[in-house]
Amino acid sequence: MTPHVAVAPMLVALLTAILSLPVRKRPRLRTAVSVGGALAYAAAVAALALRVFPDGVLVYTLGEWQAPFGIVLVADALSAFMLVLSALVAVPAAAFAARYVDETGQRVSFHALFHFMLLGVAGSFLTGDVFNLFVWFEVMLMASYVLVVLYGGAEHTRAAMRYVVLNLIASAVMLVAIGGLYGTLGTLNMADMAQRLADPAAYGVDPAPVLGLSALLFAVFALKAGIVPFQFWVPDAYRAAPAPATAMLAGVVKKVGVYAVIRLYFTVFAAGEMTVSLPFVGGDSPLAFFGPVLFVMAAASIVFGGIGAVARDDVDGLLAYSSISQVGFIALPLAVGAAAAGVRSLALAAALVYALNHAVAKSLLFLVSGTITDATGTDEIGNLGGLAASTPVIAAAFLVGALAMVGIPPLSGFFGKLLVFDAAAQARDVGALAAALGGAILTIAYMTRGWNRSFWGSPTPLVERATPDPVLVALVAVLALAVVALGIGFDPVFRFASAAGDAALARDAYVRAVLGGGGA
Amino acid sequence: MTEFVLAVVLGALFALGTFLTLRRDLVRVVWGVSIMSQAANVYLITMGGLDGSVPIVGHGGHGAGHVTDPLVQALVLTAIVIGFGTTALALVLTYRTYEENGSIDVSSLRGDRS
Repeated sequence: MTPHVAVAPMLVALLTAILSLPVRKRPRLRTAVSVGGALAYAAAVAALALRVFPDGVLVYTLGEWQAPFGIVLVADALSAFMLVLSALVAVPAAAFAARYVDETGQRVSFHALFHFMLLGVAGSFLTGDVFNLFVWFEVMLMASYVLVVLYGGAEHTRAAMRYVVLNLIASAVMLVAIGGLYGTLGTLNMADMAQRLADPAAYGVDPAPVLGLSALLFAVFALKAGIVPFQFWVPDAYRAAPAPATAMLAGVVKKVGVYAVIRLYFTVFAAGEMTVSLPFVGGDSPLAFFGPVLFVMAAASIVFGGIGAVARDDVDGLLAYSSISQVGFIALPLAVGAAAAGVRSLALAAALVYALNHAVAKSLLFLVSGTITDATGTDEIGNLGGLAASTPVIAAAFLVGALAMVGIPPLSGFFGKLLVFDAAAQARDVGALAAALGGAILTIAYMTRGWNRSFWGSPTPLVERATPDPVLVALVAVLALAVVALGIGFDPVFRFASAAGDAALARDAYVRAVLGGGGA
Repeated sequence: MTEFVLAVVLGALFALGTFLTLRRDLVRVVWGVSIMSQAANVYLITMGGLDGSVPIVGHGGHGAGHVTDPLVQALVLTAIVIGFGTTALALVLTYRTYEENGSIDVSSLRGDRS
């Protein structure tokens, strides 16, 4: 009975997606199904999180086929943390969409796509099988392709085309990497992989190719997360998608790439011992190779996204570049943790706290931007101004999100940044400290610029005529309060993130739960 | 021997896919992407090993121990179905891009990236 709680989030999302299809032409029912489904998803996630917190591992064998032969779903604190993150964004985004997306868009099944995307996200967070991860990625991506092109205009089709082609190539690369891993290790089950990597002689496998194959896989995850040099699809796709879909893409779908890096590299591939001797890097674990690589990519993301955001003249573009920069902040502690085993636990907690902060605050900002576009008909910063006087609630919500991005106490962004700096300082990583400091300054620069020019000053004609939708404003205000609450009640958040980070490193417990008869 | 031939074919397919993906014509780009995903499928089959008999219990006559790995074939079936869906979507999207922008030349689609 009880292990079914592990599969519940996926079932709820699937059912909601299917139910959304027949009711898509009936506005009231459609909204009830979609928002109710998102709330049920949140409830299922909460039930799962309470079960596995702080160090439980729940294994669900699909069709009673035992691992490593069948596909298993594995829910540990890390999966639960990521699921909670997705639910925190999904509920407000679904409610926002019901009011914000135009009737045609909702009629052609926005809500079904939204929940299919959520299903793909939940599947990616829960699966314990590498090929199954590929399948859930595709479920998620298929829905996201259509969400990006939903408005169907000239720029939307262009953006979607780029997004689709890039992700199709990434899928082919991912398939090649997975095939290679299977050919090398003879298994697709993550726990079994970790076991074989830890003791290759006992299983008669040669782990040497794993480093290259995992690097190939890493490129795919980096593309999903939008880390430099794989960031170029981000601004166009985020501008093209409707605001609630963008909130999901930036807040949740990006984090799937981050999750995959944590799960596969820290839990699975780190089990292997292999001599890495490449120019500039060396060590006896795959993480010794990924540490410096990840550091360069993270630092480049922070700088590139920050400078790009400073130069943008539209709110959505500013937020899209900002999210490239912020994902760099999530990847930076991962790089620090990969290089220095001593601070690995703290570094993972820092990355997860920052991921949660970015998910909630950035979705808030994208929804604020959507509200502004809905009220004024534009998101060009040049045409905005004086919003603080005419729409104080929207302005307050934007301010909360912006301050959370900048990292002002007591908002959650402060603790995220603090932990990132703490991890870098404890590892005595001067480069990471410098990158984080530079990124923090850039964040202040672009957020201040966006705030000064759109919210202060004298109201433009568009702002004077603005008619903000009261429901959207209320939703944004509630989400802003949630951001504040996350910061004020930070202690449980931190304990959950630490448990999630420790779960990612507790390889033996993970392997034992999956393979040691702990399931069923 | 078969492995060698397949390795050559794989290299040629990936090269062709990459070449087409870098063309200016959007239809060729979609062609290139779908060739690449098919190449990945062939690669998967190759990684499963090609010697051995049909993986059906009671068939093959080599005894129990020597059958081709059936798992990769299941994987490839899944990948083909996904590839079918994505290729169809990409083609429809190409058509819509043409309708909206009046061109399928990638370099003229760069548009107002402001």
